[in-house]
Amino acid sequence: MKFLSVCSTGLGSSFITQLNVEKALKQLGVQGVETDHSDLGSVSQGDADVIVVGRDIAEAASGLGDVIVLNSLIDMNEITQKVSAALERHGIAVPEKEQKQ
Amino acid sequence: MLSQYFGTGTILYSPSVSGWEEAVDRVTQPLVSLGSIRTEYVDAIKKAIVSPGGTYIDLGYQIALAHARPEMGVVKTSLSVLHLAQPFLLADSPEHPISTLFCLAAESSERHLELMKELASLLSDAQWRQQIESVSTEEELRCVFTKEESVS
Repeated sequence: MKFLSVCSTGLGSSFITQLNVEKALKQLGVQGVETDHSDLGSVSQGDADVIVVGRDIAEAASGLGDVIVLNSLIDMNEITQKVSAALERHGIAVPEKEQKQ
Repeated sequence: MLSQYFGTGTILYSPSVSGWEEAVDRVTQPLVSLGSIRTEYVDAIKKAIVSPGGTYIDLGYQIALAHARPEMGVVKTSLSVLHLAQPFLLADSPEHPISTLFCLAAESSERHLELMKELASLLSDAQWRQQIESVSTEEELRCVFTKEESVS
């Protein structure tokens, strides 16, 4: 299982997103999930199970498979909720799901 | 700590700007003066913002992280910030009002990794975001970044 955060430069925004996805996974008590970040131009379908993007490049990323679109890249509530839903879609147990942030 | 990446004069406060281009000019100016970035980097940021999807640097909560690729003119990993009382519209888009604009100049290095970790944890902290919203002077803005040192 792998989450790949993507932005246009693959440097700032996508890295912040990756770090927040990692934080969300930790809060959810999920281990063994891979995370990374990259730029939109070098990602192709199949590079990751879930692609995480901000709303501004949602359209450009829509062909990449299972895509999570975030309204804010720093809203931990939104990120945790959407990461949790994605884990469940992929059949991963989420131990801390019920815990409120 | 995050404040070590801010050079002299890189924490800026202003009541307002004429638009996003002035905001980018203002926030990048100290880094150009300090020699941390070349002017090409400023042009690259502006070009990225007007290109399709360029508003992706809007992180949410009126905070944006202006940046481009290291090879576009970064000399030294560094950070600057401009906070405004009155938000401007990123790429003139009403969907993207911004009141805190960071400029990130990153070499691909360990330092960049550390900087991003600290920045990400700060920006994802709802309490900290509340603090920066209430800032109304440059002095207060500086405190928001230096105070986090003593707490953590």
